[in-house]
Amino acid sequence: MTHRDATPSRGTGPDRTDHEPVQPRPPGADRTERELRDALRALAGGVQPDPDAYRTARGEWLRRERRRRLVLTVLVAVVFALATLIGLWVLNQAPANPGVIFNGDGAAAADGPSLPRRLP
Amino acid sequence: MRRRQHSQATLPPAPTPAAAAAAGPLGPAVTGPADLEREAGVARLFELHYSSMLRLAVLLGADDPENVVAEAYYQIYRKWRRLKDVAAAEAYLRSTVCNLTRMRIRHLQVARRHEERPPAPADEIVASAENTALLHDDQRVLLDALQHLPARQREALVLRHWLGLKESEIAAAMGISRGSVKTHTSRGIAALTQAMEARR
Repeated sequence: MTHRDATPSRGTGPDRTDHEPVQPRPPGADRTERELRDALRALAGGVQPDPDAYRTARGEWLRRERRRRLVLTVLVAVVFALATLIGLWVLNQAPANPGVIFNGDGAAAADGPSLPRRLP
Repeated sequence: MRRRQHSQATLPPAPTPAAAAAAGPLGPAVTGPADLEREAGVARLFELHYSSMLRLAVLLGADDPENVVAEAYYQIYRKWRRLKDVAAAEAYLRSTVCNLTRMRIRHLQVARRHEERPPAPADEIVASAENTALLHDDQRVLLDALQHLPARQREALVLRHWLGLKESEIAAAMGISRGSVKTHTSRGIAALTQAMEARR
């Protein structure tokens, strides 16, 4: 995310045209601009890239990318293992005796008193 | 610094990703067709824009421009799948180089401030001697004054007068409004003019 500097400055409002100067140009500004262009061009002309720059940079990208994937894989494995262990522990905490729903045998219940039935 | 001073005009063509994947020791990281496409795209970008990005980092005053530019390319390498328009990659790279250089300079300033040693002379932030050896005295003074400007003003001036970008493009690269670009440019030129007039 980039931070946008929206602070209004004097003479830079949206109602101003692009050709209008922000501040009165000091005398000699044109000459300074020309000299600045020449100086920047001269300085940039002295910079020559290393012929092996791509190979070096690519090796570094791949190394970092591989390390990032490795860290991500380890993180996912740790989270999965933790979730599994917690699940097993919770299941292990359940009572071992049978529940009340199936308590008793069916024969005793059949021999007991039943509700009176409506006769036709 | 690793930059070479011999008269080499352009980078040699970057190796094709398939060949690099097969030959290099880190080849197995490139597996699917999406990876191959990404490799090819980044290699093309590297061949097209590496020199200009390196020069931009130097002109902005980075002390380790190769690392700054390599980091910018790594950012685009990582986010390649989210890049909607390949044509916008140059602007993204430019913006990343500006931000990384600014962060690097700020980090160095903070580190120097907290060092126990006496602060380094201000000349250290000027471009290295090997780069300025061929410059005239006036140009050296001008670049010295440029390096002492606030980072935003320096960026706006370099993007305007070296890359020749429009205000809207500079605003996009720096993440500020067009009005701020005008202000930074105007103030920067005024400060440089004052420095040069004092010398004359």
